Amino acid sequence: MKLGSKIGYETKRKWYGFTFILPWLIGCILFFLTPMYQSFRYAFQSLEATPTGFAATEVGFENFSSLFFKDTNFLPDLVGSLGDLIQVPLILVYSLFFAILIKGKFPGRTFMRAVAFMPVIIGSGVLMQILKEDVFASGARGGSADTYLFSAGNIPALLTSMGMGTGVVNFVNQVISRVFDLTWRSGVQIMLFLAGLHGIPDYLYEASGLEGAGSFAQFWKVTLPMLTPMILLNTIYSVIDMMNDYGNTIIRSINNTMFSLFKFGYASAMSVVYFLVIIIILGLVALLLRRFIIYQD
Amino acid sequence: MTAISQKRPKQKMDAKTRRRKIGHVLGRIIFYLVCACLAYQLLYPVLYMSSMAIRDPGDINDPSIVWIPKHFTLDNFSDALKSMSYWKAFGVSMTLSIVCGFFDVFSCAIAGYGFARFKFPGKNILFLIVVFTIVVPSQTLILPLYSRWRYASFGGLAQLFTGKESINLIGTLWPMILPSMLAMGVRSGLYIFIYRQFFMGLPVALEDAAYIDGAGPYRTFFSIMLPNVKNAIITVFLFSFVWNWGEYYLSKQFLGSDNRSIMTALSMLRMDLSQVSALAGVQLGTNPEKIVTRMQAGCLLTAAPMLLVFIFTQRFLADSIEHIGIK
Repeated sequence: MKLGSKIGYETKRKWYGFTFILPWLIGCILFFLTPMYQSFRYAFQSLEATPTGFAATEVGFENFSSLFFKDTNFLPDLVGSLGDLIQVPLILVYSLFFAILIKGKFPGRTFMRAVAFMPVIIGSGVLMQILKEDVFASGARGGSADTYLFSAGNIPALLTSMGMGTGVVNFVNQVISRVFDLTWRSGVQIMLFLAGLHGIPDYLYEASGLEGAGSFAQFWKVTLPMLTPMILLNTIYSVIDMMNDYGNTIIRSINNTMFSLFKFGYASAMSVVYFLVIIIILGLVALLLRRFIIYQD
Repeated sequence: MTAISQKRPKQKMDAKTRRRKIGHVLGRIIFYLVCACLAYQLLYPVLYMSSMAIRDPGDINDPSIVWIPKHFTLDNFSDALKSMSYWKAFGVSMTLSIVCGFFDVFSCAIAGYGFARFKFPGKNILFLIVVFTIVVPSQTLILPLYSRWRYASFGGLAQLFTGKESINLIGTLWPMILPSMLAMGVRSGLYIFIYRQFFMGLPVALEDAAYIDGAGPYRTFFSIMLPNVKNAIITVFLFSFVWNWGEYYLSKQFLGSDNRSIMTALSMLRMDLSQVSALAGVQLGTNPEKIVTRMQAGCLLTAAPMLLVFIFTQRFLADSIEHIGIK
């Protein structure tokens, strides 16, 4: 008590705050920061598994140089993984649409909300992968009519005959064949948008309504600006989710290098490069979107 | 309003209201049609799973069957149960989900409260690290973590108690449980974030009242703040439960072949099903139809516990979503 009265209230609060995050800090050092450092070290080594642990020899930048200059798969895989990010805007539009749809009160809202959150609940990597392979790729059902929702079918041919360029047709084709992927990746985003929509104060709508704004104008002038923080958060979440996905090409090839080829150092170099690429992309996204963000108050 | 409309001819007004009524009804119809499309599209995989899991393999190529099979069978389930060693994997995953969920709820609440309500040097950098823990792919960390668990020494503690230089924790459940005790489990960064948002939304007066009554920060936290974020607790538990259940990558490496988690078992089901000799009492041959139906039965069995938990907790989830907000 004596000691307590000697040091000021503010200092005491600081230490209390520190004790609250201490368990996390210990966990973070043990299970995140040191493994992270270790992984960076591994990237510069050639590792062999021995009965007493890994035997390492320093190889300098050899892993990285062969990654960039000798490996014929890594760079194309990386570009392919980045190309998947084209889905992010589509996910945002879809989840915003869905969130607005189920925001209001209507009979059956509970059911629609439960359905909307379902991908969050059962959309885990393995299940998704099996479903994608079985449900949507299989011809097991003899091309029966009820897969039409997800296969591109005749639409590309239709577009081509309408005189669209092949670029557009390919894009549309890609989008349609990934509708399943798209909708099943949007669970968390819908939840976040819904949270954002409920956070917009009613008086903004009332005031703009009195000024004569219709619901169309209200969407562009009130809803969208107020949602910009959520849009940033959702963009970042979507990018992370996509890059860390079980089915991602790079993730798969890292796994393969690690656990089938046992090139541990090389796999570490791959994952370090990949991690840095993700950080750069997230930084770019944050920088680009930062200017458009409007915070309440 | 009434004054103006009374001046108008009666006929015209009726037409206008009728038009508006029709427009309203049309809007509702379109609204429900869109809802139905979205719901169908999201429920499709679950319906497909259920439909495939109860049908006789011979019914697969019958084009006249859309959802309801002509020959029902439960063999798919019994075969999937056997070849996944379902109940054993169920036990492992259920233990992990409940134990990790429980620890996540508390450890992340403590950290989230620290970040929401206290000022201390380095707070922003530490919170940035919280975000980083979600960003880094587990592939980056798996090797160092594996060797950490394989040769766990705990700074000499292991030597003190067992006399050996290190102990092997691979094949036990500890590599999943210990991190979640220290708020570093599966996607824990997200839970810390959720808690932080909730605690920041509570009025400061709540704590001040407790301080004036003589409660210290710990007592205030446990008896005032925690009971006030019930929805956050339920949401975090639900997330932690289902994501620990669905976790595949870490548990596959850390739990070993004796303690297969449910997702590991599911991911190996196809292989297990085609290797007839490896299975006790399941005779499939390499019949692809039989494999497809049994795979779907396995999927349904894996997803069912999550769906059940979801049905019971989803109203809390919907409620807490309305209050998360972003500040």
